[in-house]
Amino acid sequence: MIGRRGFLAAAGLGALSVALPVPALASPTGLTPNVFVSVDRQGRVTATIPRPDSGQGVRTVVTMLIAEELAVPLHSVRVEQAPGDTARYGIQTVGGSTSVPQLADPMRRAAATARCLLLTAAAQRWRVPVDECTARDGVVHHRRKGKLPYSALVDDAAALDPTTVPVTLTPEDQWRVLGRHAHRVDARDIVTGRARYGIDTAPPGTLVAVVARPPWIGARLDTVDDTAARALPDVVDVLRLDPDTGSQGGVAVIARSTAAALAARAALKCTWTGGTPTADSRAWLTDLTAALPPAPTAPSPVALRATYSLPLLAHAPMEPMNATVHVRPDGATAWVPTQDPGNLRVTLARFLGVPTDTVRVEPTLTGGAFGRRFDFDYIAEAALCSRHTGAPVRVLWTRDDDTRHDSYRPMSVHRLQATTDATGLPTWRSHDIATWPLTVLPLPTDPSLVLVNGDHFSYSVPGTPTVVIKPAPLRTGFWRSVYAGHLAYAEEVFLSALATLGGWDQVELRKRLLTQQPRLLRVLDTAGEHHRRPRHGHTLGVACHAEYGSAIAVIAEVDARADQPRVRRVTAAVDVGRALHPSGLRAQVEGCVMDAVSTVLGAQITVREGRVVESSFRDYTWARIDRAPDIDVLIVPSDAPLGGAGELAFPPAAAAIAAAIADATGRPVTGMPSHSPVG
Amino acid sequence: MDQFRLQVNGKHHQVRAPRDTPLLWVLREQLGLTGPKYGCGIGACGACTSIVDGQAARPCVTPLAEAGEHDITTVEGLSEHGDHPVQRAWIELDVAQCGYCQPGQIMSTVALLAANPDPDDDDIDRALRDNVCRCGTYSRIRAAVRLAAQYTRKAQS
Repeated sequence: MIGRRGFLAAAGLGALSVALPVPALASPTGLTPNVFVSVDRQGRVTATIPRPDSGQGVRTVVTMLIAEELAVPLHSVRVEQAPGDTARYGIQTVGGSTSVPQLADPMRRAAATARCLLLTAAAQRWRVPVDECTARDGVVHHRRKGKLPYSALVDDAAALDPTTVPVTLTPEDQWRVLGRHAHRVDARDIVTGRARYGIDTAPPGTLVAVVARPPWIGARLDTVDDTAARALPDVVDVLRLDPDTGSQGGVAVIARSTAAALAARAALKCTWTGGTPTADSRAWLTDLTAALPPAPTAPSPVALRATYSLPLLAHAPMEPMNATVHVRPDGATAWVPTQDPGNLRVTLARFLGVPTDTVRVEPTLTGGAFGRRFDFDYIAEAALCSRHTGAPVRVLWTRDDDTRHDSYRPMSVHRLQATTDATGLPTWRSHDIATWPLTVLPLPTDPSLVLVNGDHFSYSVPGTPTVVIKPAPLRTGFWRSVYAGHLAYAEEVFLSALATLGGWDQVELRKRLLTQQPRLLRVLDTAGEHHRRPRHGHTLGVACHAEYGSAIAVIAEVDARADQPRVRRVTAAVDVGRALHPSGLRAQVEGCVMDAVSTVLGAQITVREGRVVESSFRDYTWARIDRAPDIDVLIVPSDAPLGGAGELAFPPAAAAIAAAIADATGRPVTGMPSHSPVG
Repeated sequence: MDQFRLQVNGKHHQVRAPRDTPLLWVLREQLGLTGPKYGCGIGACGACTSIVDGQAARPCVTPLAEAGEHDITTVEGLSEHGDHPVQRAWIELDVAQCGYCQPGQIMSTVALLAANPDPDDDDIDRALRDNVCRCGTYSRIRAAVRLAAQYTRKAQS
C-alpha cells in the first residue's frame, strides 16, 4: 500500500526535483557532512544509497555521482543501502523512472560538499587559496605545496562549519566517471553468488512460512483442518490470515525450513467460500468493450477505425514475493525486497500499532520488481506470522503463488478513429478507452489520473482521448509504464496502420506530424538513419514516445515468414538529456524491448472459472534467449534536463514490434498479443 | 529424517532431512549456499542451476536422496573472487540487471563451454533456453558467453 505521494511519484507525477535533507552530522570517525556520504580516517568513501535497487541500477548510478564529485575511483567507494526513513533520506520510492532525475543533483551536492570541505582543509593547512587546490583519486593537489591524501585531511575537514564553505559541482567537461562505462557496483557479488536478496535473509532463528491461498478470485477461507499439517516434522504453527488485515488472506504454515513448510501446506485441508468462482477474462474483455462510450462524431468521413484489446499481465519477477519480519516487544525489523522502503516503514508501523521510530526497514537487493513491490500484502503476512510466533519469519511465495496472486496490469479496450487529408495524413483522431483502476492504490483512480499518467500523444493531430473506468474484478497494480503502456501502444500501432493505409513510410509519416517536437524528431531521425532498411524478407515497425522528461524512437525488424514471427533486430534512439550511466541506460532499454517481445508475441494472464490459469514461466510465456533480438541503443545527447528511462522504451518497443508483424502478415493488429486471441 | 552425505564444491557434508527434500533447500538452508536461487521449484526457470557431475542440473527438482553419490558445484564453487572466465565475462559486459537469475545463467554457461568450447548463437540459445531472465539481459548474456569462450580458449592455449 502506498500513499498518494508515493503514487504520484510512481506515476511520474511528482515534482521533478526533490530537496533532500543534507544535515551536518557530528561523527567521531571521520567526515560525515550529510547522510549520503562519509569519508573515514583512512580516506575511504562510503556512499549511502537512498533508494533500493531492483535491477534498474540506482546503486551504481548514485555511486558514480558520489565518486565523481568526491574525485575517487568508482570501485573504491563502499556502498551501503539506506534503511526506510524518508525524513533522513527523502523520497525513497522506486517508481515512475524518477531516480536519476530526482537524485542526481542532491547526490552530487552531497559528495561535492565533502570534497569542498577537504579542499578547504588542505588550503588552510597550506595557507593557499582554495581555488588553487584540486582533488583527484582521493588526494588534494597544489602545484607548489604538493599533495595530501584525504586521510590526512578528514579531521580538519570535519571541524569546519559546512555552511561557510561554498559548494561547487564538477563541470561536465571534467567528468571522469559520469557519462562513461561502469560495471554494476554489485557485479562481483552477483556472479559469485554472494549478493544477498530478500530471499537470502536469515537472521538467527528465522522461521519460514508459506501460505495456502484462495483458489479462486475473492474466495475466503471457510474451514481448515490442520491436524495432518501440524503432525509433520519441523512444523511450528498454523495461522489463519484474515484478508481484511492487509494480506490477501489464507492459512500460513510456519516451519523451521522451507521444505517442511511446503510439505505441511500440502497437508492442509481447506474449504473456501464466496468470491467469483465463474469469472472469465474473456467476459471481462466483452464487458470493457461494451463500456466504451459512443464513438465521437468525426468532422469528415472516418478513414480508419480500429479496436485493440489488452490483456492482464503479471509482474513475475525472478525473485518471488518474500519478506522477513521480526516483531519484538520493543518494535520490529523488516528485511524486504521493496520499491518503497520509506512508506513501507510508516505502513508497517501503523499496521502493528507501534510508533514509526520503533520500526526498521532494511531494503535488500531485489530480484526484479516491475511495479509489484509497492504492495504491502506479502509484508503483512510476514508481520502477522512473526507477531504470532515472536520469532523472525520469512514468508515465501512459491512461483505459483506469485503468478496467481499478483496485482495485475489492468485489461483495457481501445477504440481509435481518424480522418485523413488527401495525402493520407491524419487530420483528426479519437481514442476511447475502457479500463480498470489500480486497486492497490488507497485513492480511487479517476479518468483524469489515467490520462495524466498515460496520455503522452505528441503528434500534431487534434483530438482528446476519453477514458471510462469500470470496477476491477481482481487486484490490479502498477506495471512498468503503467497506463502509458496501454495508451501509447494503441496510439502508435494505430498510427502505423494509418501509414500503411495512406502508403506512407512509418518514419516519414511521423516526421510530418512531429515538426513541433524537436527532441522526438531528432531521435526518430537518428534511429531511421541507423536502421534504414530491413533485410530481405523482413519488415520494419516504428514508434516514438516522450515521457519522464525523455524521448525515444524505436525501430523493430521482424521476420514473420515462419509460423511464429521472430523479432530479429531492434534499434532505439534515446534522449535522456545527458546519459550519466550509459551502460545502465542501455540495459533499461534492452529490458523494455524484451518485455515488448514477450507481451506482443503472446505472454498474458488469463482467467477461467475464477482462477488464474497461468502458474509459472511454463505457461506465462515470457521470452527466452532464443527469442532475443540484437538490440542497438543509440544515445542522443541533448541539453534537456535529466530524464528517466526505466519504463520509457516499453510502449514504443511493443508498438514497433506489433506494427512490423502487421506489415509482414498484412493482418491488422488486434491488441496485445498483437495477432492472437486476448483474454 | 534421514542422514545423507553430500559433496559440494569439493567439500563433504553430512545433512539431515527427509529423502524427498529438494536439494535446493538443503544447499540454501543447511549449507548456507544461497547462490542457487529459488525461482519456480519445478525446473522451469533455471535460477537454481548448478553443476552435477559436469552437467547443468536443477537442484529444485533433485531429491536429496539422489544427490549423495554425485559431485555438486554451485556458483560459489567456481572461484573465490569471481575470476573464473565466465564470471569475468559477466562482469566485463555488465550483464546483470537485478542479477537474481545470473548465477543460474553462469552455471549453464560453464556446463556449455565444458562441452563445447566454441559455441555459435544457436548452441548458446539451446543451452540457455531454459534459463529465464525477467529483466531481459539476453543480448548481453549471448555476448558474455562468447567472451567467456574466448577467455577460456586463451587460458588453455
